Amino acid sequence: MNEVNLVIAGRAGQGLQVISRTLGRMLVRAGYHVFISQDVMSRIRGGHNFARVRVRTEPVAADGDKAQVLVALDPALVARHLPGLAEDAVVVADTADGLPEGLSATRLPLADIAREHGKDPVMANAAAVGAALALVGLEPVGLDEMFESQFARKGGDVVKRNVAAAEAGFRAIMEEQQRSCPHRLLPPTTQGDRLLISGAEALALGAIAAGVRVVTGYPMSPATPIVEYCFRHAREAGLIVEQTEDEVSAANLAIGSAFAGARAMVCTAGGGFCLVNEALSLAGMTEVPLVLCVGMRPGPATGMATRTEQADLLFSIYSGHGEFPRAVLTPADAAQAFHAARDAFGIAEKYQTPVIILFDQFMADALWAVERSSLMSVVSSPSSVVSNTAAIKPYSYRRYEVTENGVSPMLVPGTPEQLVYADSDEHTEEGHITESAAMRVLMVNKRNAKLSGIMQELEGPKVEAEVEVEAEAEVEAEKETLVFCFGSTRGVVAEATARLRGKGHEVAMVHLKCVWPFPAEAVSGLVGKGRKVVTVEQNYSGQLAQLLLQECGLRVAGTVRQYDGRQLAVAEVEVGLEELIGAKSG
Amino acid sequence: MAEDKAWSTSAEITWCPGCGNFGILAALRQALAAAGLEPWQVVVVGGIGQSGKVAQYIGANFLHGLHGRAIPHALGVKLANPELKVIVVGGDGDLYGEGGNHLLHAFRRNPDIVCLAHNNGVYGLTKGQAAPTSSPGFAPKNREAGTHIPAFNPLAAGLAMGGSFIARGFAGDIKHLARLIGEAFEHKGFGFIDILQPCVTYNHVNTAEWYRKRVYDLELESHNPLDADAARARILEWPAEGDDVEIPIGVFYRSRRPAYETCGRPGQAVTRLEFDIDVVKKAMEEFR
Repeated sequence: MNEVNLVIAGRAGQGLQVISRTLGRMLVRAGYHVFISQDVMSRIRGGHNFARVRVRTEPVAADGDKAQVLVALDPALVARHLPGLAEDAVVVADTADGLPEGLSATRLPLADIAREHGKDPVMANAAAVGAALALVGLEPVGLDEMFESQFARKGGDVVKRNVAAAEAGFRAIMEEQQRSCPHRLLPPTTQGDRLLISGAEALALGAIAAGVRVVTGYPMSPATPIVEYCFRHAREAGLIVEQTEDEVSAANLAIGSAFAGARAMVCTAGGGFCLVNEALSLAGMTEVPLVLCVGMRPGPATGMATRTEQADLLFSIYSGHGEFPRAVLTPADAAQAFHAARDAFGIAEKYQTPVIILFDQFMADALWAVERSSLMSVVSSPSSVVSNTAAIKPYSYRRYEVTENGVSPMLVPGTPEQLVYADSDEHTEEGHITESAAMRVLMVNKRNAKLSGIMQELEGPKVEAEVEVEAEAEVEAEKETLVFCFGSTRGVVAEATARLRGKGHEVAMVHLKCVWPFPAEAVSGLVGKGRKVVTVEQNYSGQLAQLLLQECGLRVAGTVRQYDGRQLAVAEVEVGLEELIGAKSG
Repeated sequence: MAEDKAWSTSAEITWCPGCGNFGILAALRQALAAAGLEPWQVVVVGGIGQSGKVAQYIGANFLHGLHGRAIPHALGVKLANPELKVIVVGGDGDLYGEGGNHLLHAFRRNPDIVCLAHNNGVYGLTKGQAAPTSSPGFAPKNREAGTHIPAFNPLAAGLAMGGSFIARGFAGDIKHLARLIGEAFEHKGFGFIDILQPCVTYNHVNTAEWYRKRVYDLELESHNPLDADAARARILEWPAEGDDVEIPIGVFYRSRRPAYETCGRPGQAVTRLEFDIDVVKKAMEEFR
């Protein structure tokens, strides 16, 4: 098979994330493409969590349809997954007792294996990894290296016991099946040096690669993993990572650090971002470069803490009182998240204004296989900080000097014989409070002039129809329906539109990785005169469709929307789009 | 604009004539001059209110930010560049009301920041509403019958939260206040000074004369600021009800604790750290 979908289901606290990530890394090391998503309840123990692992010989950026393999760490959970299983699915559970009738189950005594070979119940995780490898027809090679990389600091014995448990899990499946594996993967078609990394980790690593120095936050899903990653790497990366008393403090602390000249980033989720709004406005007024990572989850209020939505699109664009320029970046996946961090610091610093990286729970928690080489481009500091301070007469610096593009030369406090004023009040060029009508107009114009410069920095969207489809039908561009999406739905929409093209529909995707300043000219150019436009978005009101109308005068023919807290599936988008497009065109 | 080391600026001072802020500004100028600092080495972070305007008038670097948020701003500056001398100026509404949570945690964290709390027991800029420190007898504009709730005691909160320098000054005694601010400059930690200040326009109870009759200097009473129990007793003397109260001023409590920005930190201005791409390359290995 060129693709196998596995579901690993268990209770919170059973190590699902460890199992799925370890398995995923083994598969990536073996040369496969892997995509892993997490479905997690908002509780610490118990409940029902699961990871979807999709392994393919070709690139993959979305969950698959039906699962061929279900590994249930608790047999009681099997029944819930039956509707999502393929007809020939293999179900693996500790015991066959209590499983639904008629199901062909493979018994995998994980607890026994863990005790016998791992000498510790927690080794059930390793045993599950070994079993999963057997289920997709791979050999258990490289286990020692894998566990070495995870547990080297816990000692050689821990590594050995993990390897033993994984090998025992592998053997148990081989003995149990006693026949050729029904879901054997074909050999990988491409070799690459890939990493398996979550969106949140990629965002954090991208920020480190962009030279972030101060990272702040207050724990809130789905932004917490960004801060946690930075915490773990604070020492070697020279970071100050600060968990503050609240999001208000997190954002204002970051502004203080950015004012002092450090690249600063605040990480929060929708609810926390509400608290951050006043600080966002302050960053706009004081022209402090500030990067904000804002994770979307279903709202309003507490909503569904561990689930996904894209309903803060318009909020992020209009948040903060008063008018000031900002950029809102909406990366699709781990690779784009890494680069969004670089772009965000570049824009924030060059234009001395806040930049929001808007992502969602699904993107942040999913594990994406990324070519390592694609992540190695590092920010080239497009800084507007004045380097030759000697050229400025002592004590004559003007922080808000009016310039043509609105960007004033920047100094930071501590510069010998210069003073830097940052003022939340409307201010003069020096930075002193003023109520002058003329100065007010000058400063409003100066600040907002920066938006057109930001627009020029951003790469415009394009029609993406080159996603792998064999024998793709020739389409006349003018007849194509363009499917607009932003953020994490890119992989899903790409695959759905590819399937539709395979069926003869003239349809292609446009993904927006930046929604503000809105690339109105580029979008209007893509749509041209006759193209039908639809959106796919995870919210109730069709916020992207509203933006298209407002910014481009485009009235969409329809929207595929979902707001149940779960990521849209490829098949759902395919069906939804087919309804909107209507009967086969041409 | 040519602003020299006189610790003043070209900005027009917009306080009411006779405002207690003038005394605090004068004391801060004296303390800065005595500390031998250059204006560019100092960052004044102002809250919003009449008190926060000190930032505009002092002639150092300033961040005049948001109501209640001066402490997080100051902490951000200090963490990013510990070499800067950072001073917070804010009012009672700013530091005890809107930003009360930040103040509690600043006592716990103990960054090397000096915090001057202008306490006049009333909201001035918004014209006469009750402040957290208004005494129960005070009849503010928005509640003629009085506030009915006890006044906030910032010094007691500071002591309870592990504050390492807890003091009170009086805007009407500039010499004493300048000395207190100087001591806070010397202190390696969160140097907190609650400053009693008359509001000539809105607070007709706690006038300059009212304070002058009641304040006494702790130093003259041979108070030992290293004794937490003695500090607690003095701190609880005021705010208190009754017309015969006495109000201690001076340093109530002092202790040695490491400054927050020195605990497990890079130990230098992160703004000057060299970027090391090998850190990123090495970090990628864990995802392979």
